[in-house]
Amino acid sequence: MGEAREPLVRIFGILDISAEVITMLVMIAVVAAVSLIIRHNLRERPGKFQNILEAGVEYLDNFFSDILGRKNARKYLFFLASLFVFILMANYSGLIPGVGIFKYFKAPTSSLSVTVGLSICTFFFIQISAFRAGSKHYIKHFLTPIVPLLLLDELIKPASLSLRLFGNIFGEETVLENLYELLPIGAPIIMMALSLLFCAIQAMVYTMLTASYLNEFIEE
Amino acid sequence: MTESAIYAIAAALAIALSTVFPALGQGKAAKAALESIARQPDAAKDIRSTLLLSLALMEALTIYGLLIAFMLVGKIG
Repeated sequence: MGEAREPLVRIFGILDISAEVITMLVMIAVVAAVSLIIRHNLRERPGKFQNILEAGVEYLDNFFSDILGRKNARKYLFFLASLFVFILMANYSGLIPGVGIFKYFKAPTSSLSVTVGLSICTFFFIQISAFRAGSKHYIKHFLTPIVPLLLLDELIKPASLSLRLFGNIFGEETVLENLYELLPIGAPIIMMALSLLFCAIQAMVYTMLTASYLNEFIEE
Repeated sequence: MTESAIYAIAAALAIALSTVFPALGQGKAAKAALESIARQPDAAKDIRSTLLLSLALMEALTIYGLLIAFMLVGKIG
């Protein structure tokens, strides 16, 4: 369930290139290309495209400032914003016609391996930045009689994050596939329109929860 | 009853029960949020983000049920 399909290319027997990896590589190429082009044409008086992107960055900045406070939001924006952009693009890639049905492309977040990978990154990000923000406070947080529960809590947080993202996107893709088999043209559109909303909300929820988990440690 | 019939019933129960009860909880949360927004429109922004967060946490329960249901459906012979 939710496992990668038969790998398309095998390198050295370990590094399998599956449909998710191809989609992610295409996605990263698109983001990198847009960033490079926009950086090359950066102007004091922004054009239409630059304006849209600036508004997006400002929105993210305000969004995280509400949770973490202005100073900390700026400090950790590099990770949180890239997480948001990655998850948003990954979720939306499932809506491109043909992705998920065509053999070479599949929404990356509809596979458990990808979301668990993301959550492992999130786990280490939260713990390391909490430790660096104040090691005394971090250690004091764990010096209570209920240490086992706290440790369990820290491990359950990323697990629930990854399962939530995976379950939502996987369920949505499954519904889309079933509707496609029912009536190839027309039926999936209803679900796709809803997905436009849900994909953005899932990306938002993931980063929002990450930010508030981080906030538990560093606020003072 | 054959084995696959039991799996089918279990899958249906898993998704049905895990839809009904979180939905009730979400309804309560949304109702409270709407009431407080109507009473205090200035605080709408804060309430909205908190509401979204709590709705997502409740939604997770449904998703766990959905995953179990998919797993059980996969077992039907």
